[in-house]
Amino acid sequence: MTIKLISGCIGCGTCVASCPTDVLRLDPKTKKAIIKYPADCQICHLCRMYCPVDAITITPDKSIPVIVSWG
Amino acid sequence: MTSLSKDPTLLSRRHFMALAGGIAGMATLSALGVPSGWAANTAKVDVDTVNRKEHTSDVLVIGGGMAGLFATVKAHDAGSKVILVSKGRLGSSGQTPFAKGIFTYDAATAPISLDAFVDKVSRSAMGTNNPVYTRQMAEHSRARVDELRQWGFFDSPLYNTCFSKPIKERNIPVLERIVITHLIKENGHIAGAAGFSMDSEKIQIFRAKSVILCTGAGGFKPNGFPICDLTHDGTIMAYTIGAKVTGKEWNDGHPGQATNAAACFDGWHGMFERKPDTVGVEVHHDLGVDLNYIAYVNGGPVAMGPPGSGNTTSKGGPLTPAEFARPPGGPPPGGGKAPGNGGPPSGKGGGPPGMAGIPVGGSSAGMSIHKSEGLVPINDRCASNIPGLYAAGDALGSYMAGAIYTQIGSSLAGSAVQGAVAGTAAADYCKAVDFQDVSTAKLDDIHQEILAPLQRKAGYSPAWVTQTLQGIMIPNFVLYIKKEKLLQAALAYVEELRDHHMPMLRAADFHELRLAHETANMIISAEMKLKASIMRKESRCSHYRLDYPEMDTTNWQAWINIYKGADGSMQFEKQPFAAWPA
Amino acid sequence: MMHSQTNRRGLLPAILLFTGLPIFIYATGDFPRRTLLKESISLLTIIGFCMMLAQFFLTRSGNSLLLGSNMAKVIKIHKIIGYVFVCIILVHPFLIVLPRYFEAGLDPAACLITILRTYSNSGILIGIFAWCLMSILLVTAIFRKKIPLPYKTWVQFHKWLSIACMIFACWHALDLGRHTDRVLSAYIILLAFCGILLPLKNSKSPTVLQSEISRPGKGEISRDSF
Ligand SMILES: Cc1cc2nc3c(=O)[nH]c(=O)nc-3n(C[C@H](O)[C@H](O)[C@H](O)COP(=O)(O)OP(=O)(O)OC[C@H]3O[C@@H](n4cnc5c(N)ncnc54)[C@H](O)[C@@H]3O)c2cc1C
Ligand code: SF4
Ligand code: SF4
Repeated sequence: MTIKLISGCIGCGTCVASCPTDVLRLDPKTKKAIIKYPADCQICHLCRMYCPVDAITITPDKSIPVIVSWG
Repeated sequence: MTSLSKDPTLLSRRHFMALAGGIAGMATLSALGVPSGWAANTAKVDVDTVNRKEHTSDVLVIGGGMAGLFATVKAHDAGSKVILVSKGRLGSSGQTPFAKGIFTYDAATAPISLDAFVDKVSRSAMGTNNPVYTRQMAEHSRARVDELRQWGFFDSPLYNTCFSKPIKERNIPVLERIVITHLIKENGHIAGAAGFSMDSEKIQIFRAKSVILCTGAGGFKPNGFPICDLTHDGTIMAYTIGAKVTGKEWNDGHPGQATNAAACFDGWHGMFERKPDTVGVEVHHDLGVDLNYIAYVNGGPVAMGPPGSGNTTSKGGPLTPAEFARPPGGPPPGGGKAPGNGGPPSGKGGGPPGMAGIPVGGSSAGMSIHKSEGLVPINDRCASNIPGLYAAGDALGSYMAGAIYTQIGSSLAGSAVQGAVAGTAAADYCKAVDFQDVSTAKLDDIHQEILAPLQRKAGYSPAWVTQTLQGIMIPNFVLYIKKEKLLQAALAYVEELRDHHMPMLRAADFHELRLAHETANMIISAEMKLKASIMRKESRCSHYRLDYPEMDTTNWQAWINIYKGADGSMQFEKQPFAAWPA
Repeated sequence: MMHSQTNRRGLLPAILLFTGLPIFIYATGDFPRRTLLKESISLLTIIGFCMMLAQFFLTRSGNSLLLGSNMAKVIKIHKIIGYVFVCIILVHPFLIVLPRYFEAGLDPAACLITILRTYSNSGILIGIFAWCLMSILLVTAIFRKKIPLPYKTWVQFHKWLSIACMIFACWHALDLGRHTDRVLSAYIILLAFCGILLPLKNSKSPTVLQSEISRPGKGEISRDSF
């Protein structure tokens, strides 16, 4: 599921800014980070590394099929 | 945009066959669970309420990577009022966040002279490099590295803080999460740029005397290389307003991993968490399409030998100059030193994908060798053929390294050096010119063009079009091991996407709006890649033609420039190696 | 001795309820496991927080529930737990950023600053408020004898301050806690409800408190040892 879970988020917004592909957004109601566009996650871990409370969990698998050059 | 006739009777038999195959391909895709393509669009944004915000500066820098950082700082220091705008966060977008080794040439301690260094790069690059930019990179690298050190670059694996330091000290405005979609040209000169902000959901207009594109390179949102935010936006925007671009036939041949191919972080074995370091002179002939050739001939899985040893593992295939060939079965590169795009610093653990486990191709599909693709420079100061428009780093087709990876760590160094050169040049340019007037009518048009995908009642989803494009372009036998017939076949698909799908890309919100614009850029990039690959009837460095496997020094001591013809069609020209455009 | 026997019998369920259960909830919950240091810090904070809630049951008013009526023991335990776990809770913001020190990425101090500057939602502000109240609680407990307040008034002050503090602390924990999933949240709410309601119930009859204090002999303590 690529970026998988956010727990213990304090809503600082750092991950939203740090994600190159705009996967994360702050929920307008709770003001906490949500995984809004998981299909666009490139599994680069920048969000996790930048989160001040280390709230983000990422797994290496991708839920949509991955196209490579041979298989 | 080129508009070809949509009359089906004009379809040639070849086109027809290709399209029929495509339908089969798409059926496979949908079986895999790819979201369906065409559907009604329910936009969650009321387009009529989207406001416009205007900004003015002497120099506008687009892109917050290594090149953008130096362009901004140096343009400011040369006396210009500067704004830095970026799609992502400063130091946390583009490729810069992931590069860990930066080349520095220190004349006092270097094992070879500057002249000898430039010659060695040229030999490895088989003449494809521009020695002026090779030399400039080496000559200025030390000064840039020293500045980076002062800002704290080498103290953390995360670059936002150190990049922000010189920008904050100079009080330079930084606008992040703004996607630039248009460059504005008036009276033959650059006049600014336009785009939209993903958070405030506004149209953003920038008026500037000079614009520096530091938008990096791009790809087809491939899996395994962290470039899914880069779709050659700068190149395509510049091409659209008449700039010449180059380098589309070359390929970056970084492999990914067969297991969890999309996991960049895991594929790079923790390298992203490492602090950066410097590297000294180390010239190779690396990461072209050797591995792709082996996989093509033998089938997967392939065993990864040392880079450059590919042609010795299998008969034929891409040619490595004897001087740079590595013995087969030599020490695994991951252990001693890891090759990268110029590679990370040696011996610190980690390393690029394919070093452990089974490698698979296409991880950086759509990207050429760094610095070989992008805007064509008309001089050694990063100027394009459009007055006031500059480009630096991966956005400039400077051929600094040539059409293959030569000096380790020179990609990062080159972006820093060129950023600084372009920043100073743009500031100088501003002193002699005035702002160009841009009519409201023109701005209104751009406004409409930007928001168009949100206004479509129905259309194709960018995600689906992207995956379809990936299915067409990424196979080894299309993008890497090239032959006329398949390049033509793929081109038929891509032209279909360009003519029928690109004008019908839909978006429900600003995230999808970004995807829609990115997808359009990828389609044009794909067209450029295929056409340039068809044109270059030889094999050299990272361009390999199965039907023209030899290097052709009679006809092909030349780069290919691409530009938009008067009728809007895509035009190609040859530019002799080591010459500036006419 | 009779009293100590009652105590020992009550101690086990108490330990189970206030530490065993949260550890169990943590262990069986669907949380991503991280490094030993990070997990230890999390566990310590969870236990610390639950022990803060347990304090409401280790008072004169809430005593008889678990530990019988050996007031000397109860009060001693209350004090030890109080000092130890209040300190843990007070340093937990620092503990959260501590592991960053051992990683190459962010600077722990910078993380802490980011945390303290986050006001987009109320969670951090409430936490800071609770943290301040808890600091006051700690200081006024350490220097109780130096505070010119009649003992009875101090007890009231201590009680109400604890209640206020824990209400905000619970709010903060339920809002931002990494491990406060549904089960742990329910547990916290239940404990807080019982713990806070109990002293509230008793506060309606201050005579109980008064009469207990006036009988130092029974609990084998004097006011000064409080
Ligand atoms: C995994 C990995 C490892 C690497 N390792 C090394 C190494 O060890 N050594 C080395 O020398 N090189 C390495 N490289 C290459 C190096 O990272 C790049 O060559 C270099 O960082 C390019 O810098 P840049 O500033 O030119 O472009 P980028 O860093 O790509 O920056 C592009 C910027 O433009 C912005 N942008 C793009 N489009 C738009 C738009 N439409 N509107 C607004 N903004 C936009 C992006 O948000 C980004 O901020 C590596 C690359 C990768 C991916
Ligand atoms: S892993 Fe990278 S792409 Fe995925 S959400 Fe985090 S920052 Fe974004
Ligand atoms: S960086 Fe961490 S704490 Fe901040 S919003 Fe993102 S997940 Fe929440």
